[in-house]
Amino acid sequence: MSVLQGLFTNTLLWWQWLILAAVPPLIVLLYFLKLKRRPIEVPSTYLWSRTIEDLHVNSIWQRLRQSLLLFLQLLLVALIMLALLRPGWQGTRLEGTRVILLVDASASMRAIDDQPSRLDEAKKQAVSLVDQMKPGDVAMVISFSDTARIEQSFTENRRLLIDRIQQIEPTIHTTNLEEALRAAAGLANTGRASTKGDEQDVQVADALPATLYILSDGGMRTVPDFALGNLEAKYLPIGTATAANLAIVAFSVDRNPEFPDRAQVFGRVENHGEEEQAVEVSLFHNGQLRDAQQTTVPAHASSGVKFDLSDLDAGLLRLELAAPDALAEDNIAYAAMNRPRPARVLIAGPDNDALRVALRTDEVAKMATVEFADESLLTDPAHQENAATGGYDLIIYDRCQPAKSPLANTVYIGRIPPGDAWSLGEPLTGPDILDVDRAHPLMQLLEVNKLQIAEARSVKGPAGSGVLVDSVGGPLIMIGPRQGFEDLAIGFELITTNAQGQQVGNTDWPRLYAFPLFVQNVLQYLGGAGGATAAPSVKPGTPVTLRAETPVDTMRIVSPAGKSTTLQREGQNTFVYSLTDELGIYEVYEGSGQQVARHFTVNLFDSRESNLAPAESIKLSNTEVKGTTSATTVTRKELWRWIVLLGLGVLAFEWYVYNRRVYF
Amino acid sequence: MTATTNVSNLLSPELLHQLEHLELVTRKVFRGHLKGERRSKRKGQSVEFADFRNYVAGDDLRFIDWNLYARLDKLFLKLFLEEEDLHFYALIDASQSMDFGQPTKLLYAKQLAGALGFIGLCRADRVKIEVLGASRQQPSPVLRGRRSLWRMLEYLDGIQPGVNVPLAEGVKSFCLRNSGKGILVLITDLMDKGGYETALRFLLAQHLDVYVIQVLSPEELRPELQGDLKLVDCEDADMAEITVSRPLMERYQKTLAAFINGAREYCVRRGMSHLLASTETPVEQLVANYLRQRGLVR
Repeated sequence: MSVLQGLFTNTLLWWQWLILAAVPPLIVLLYFLKLKRRPIEVPSTYLWSRTIEDLHVNSIWQRLRQSLLLFLQLLLVALIMLALLRPGWQGTRLEGTRVILLVDASASMRAIDDQPSRLDEAKKQAVSLVDQMKPGDVAMVISFSDTARIEQSFTENRRLLIDRIQQIEPTIHTTNLEEALRAAAGLANTGRASTKGDEQDVQVADALPATLYILSDGGMRTVPDFALGNLEAKYLPIGTATAANLAIVAFSVDRNPEFPDRAQVFGRVENHGEEEQAVEVSLFHNGQLRDAQQTTVPAHASSGVKFDLSDLDAGLLRLELAAPDALAEDNIAYAAMNRPRPARVLIAGPDNDALRVALRTDEVAKMATVEFADESLLTDPAHQENAATGGYDLIIYDRCQPAKSPLANTVYIGRIPPGDAWSLGEPLTGPDILDVDRAHPLMQLLEVNKLQIAEARSVKGPAGSGVLVDSVGGPLIMIGPRQGFEDLAIGFELITTNAQGQQVGNTDWPRLYAFPLFVQNVLQYLGGAGGATAAPSVKPGTPVTLRAETPVDTMRIVSPAGKSTTLQREGQNTFVYSLTDELGIYEVYEGSGQQVARHFTVNLFDSRESNLAPAESIKLSNTEVKGTTSATTVTRKELWRWIVLLGLGVLAFEWYVYNRRVYF
Repeated sequence: MTATTNVSNLLSPELLHQLEHLELVTRKVFRGHLKGERRSKRKGQSVEFADFRNYVAGDDLRFIDWNLYARLDKLFLKLFLEEEDLHFYALIDASQSMDFGQPTKLLYAKQLAGALGFIGLCRADRVKIEVLGASRQQPSPVLRGRRSLWRMLEYLDGIQPGVNVPLAEGVKSFCLRNSGKGILVLITDLMDKGGYETALRFLLAQHLDVYVIQVLSPEELRPELQGDLKLVDCEDADMAEITVSRPLMERYQKTLAAFINGAREYCVRRGMSHLLASTETPVEQLVANYLRQRGLVR
């Protein structure tokens, strides 16, 4: 019986079969009705009787045997019945009346080791599973990558299901089965009204068991904390185990710290094949080949490549592997160096020669545009609006304090930020420096232990603040967070006004080498200034948060394929772009500007996706689901088309016989 | 007047003209009742010389060959063959089954009987045409001489189909009533469910020179039937249900051939002549060619 069940798939309900079963007797009946033979008078039946003498023995069967037409008609009906039984072999039998098909559409499914691709193979198998649905069975289709998408909720409509399966598009996202499982489980395992052990525990709705078919190559993490419950999971592995693949799993560009005009490019190539491979890695800069290296990657290992590039200011970088393998998407990686943007810095406060001198260096001129303003500016409404919308990257308040913190990083010299978060301590005279946080980027390469300070007050920042310079009387320089920005408070003035109204130095710091370096650090760290910086790289499908450099309401992103998206501002000058579905370099335009403000890149960089060997089993929490059938045998070989063709042939032959009166 | 029409219907003037030159031949020489135009086994008075024999006293002097006597001086008597008349019987099967075909087998049988009868009449033979199963109350006329042509034709014309008697019975009744020797032409289709053997055995016992002319229509020889049919026997309403198929038709042809050959063999073994006549063959052709070949006419 089980053999028969594997061989045939019932496509009709019992009453439909009943109707069909009535057809052959009907044909025979009609045949006998038709056999109301035409009486014809003959001179004598003498010879005829002798002719059919021996045929009379079993006349009814003889009659049937002689009727080729009847035989052909019955054969045709039998063929139709056989076709309706849909004989086939080597197929997996679709189990259960409720079926959930989870089709993996992640990046690894783009591999072409199964022609035309793994996803197409998965779709083919999904369609063949739908084909095996019996009347009354319902199925649901979910495609998943890092997110799950219900392509079609439970339906009996096979055509719709097949349409939806065919519409599943490959993505370049990573794989995460969890969401898909939860979507499936939500329909099979109903929730409970209360917790376990509760007397009021009520089942909300009837649990509906379902069979879960996971069509995937299994390149995914173990799904923790998931109970199958009523779901019966079946895993159909897709892909060939021997699919070789070389992949770039890391690609970054960075400025050489020793030689700021040079850049270093790092790449890491993984080999997921069974054999060691030598591959040529080519680096392209703005589309031009800049360098190439030959590297050998052992089997199941990785190998690094490094390029040193001089005079690399800004531009687009592309790393390519000259390896035609099953998955092409991970053979190219992208990176971009964003053009350095001068930081906009405002110095507010009374005249300060020390600061002016420190900000007049060539290095600073390259890094920032510096404005000086009187403290009277702080009350100007135009400035207040500019500051409130992020018109500056950094505002240095020298011996003055705004009414409200601006949307920028700030430095307070001799003051603290407005509000209750910060507080000043008791005045200190000639405090000795106890400790300096040299690890902090602001204090790198600075020697401030011998700093002489006439008068100071200790500062105390909000929770999360860090002490940069500590003295016996308390912290002198602290840095603290504020809604995405950072405030730096220095507890002493650089220049103070004495009783006579003369400007005198409060510390010897401006005369030390450490001061211009500190100012430079401030501009780089808080002002965001610096040389060309590597554009951020995100994984496909991950939203990118972008901050406009100028206060604009809209931002336009052009994807590698040239698709332009205009974003509206969300909150404080931030824009969120989530259509990172293409690999490559994205261009960011601010406002109505026609110049590319900067770039960001989307790279696969996922070792799990690049590893094309299909997993033998997938782990769902503590359940291990083994691959049930090998991918090649899941496809049901259907015979019904041939049977229908044969039936057509029989029909044509019957027609010929009927018309030509050919009898054998 | 009707007779004239019937003549042209049954026997055309051209045929009659053609038949005038023919005569009936029998392989057996029989003794007739009256002097006819036919040689007899008996020596007698005719113009045809047979033999000589020595004169014995009492012989008719008219037959002495005086020329021989002059040369040999001995008396010899010239013997001549006797000429006698011939009894010709045509036995027509007028059963319902003979009323088939285009023209009907019965008409064909009548034509054939008429033609042979006319030959007999021309040669002053005794011609008797009878229908199988004819009642004693209406005996068929015995005809002699050309003048009887019209009577013969009238009689033939009067024969209606539907006298359904088994062949054997009809022949038996004929044999009981006619004991004379001579030529008998039995015109029938031989399709008798009781078999034809008994009937032919009766004829054999009569020492007749028997010619069996089996008349069959093309519909019987090459039936053109199609589909599922219920064949109804026109005589006894017997039914045979057939589904026409190639094997069935082949089987029929075999059966037909076996039937005809069986009849022929039966006849030949018993010294009878059997001739298959299809109604397609014109009567004149049958008489002029086939019957001539068989030696019935000359």
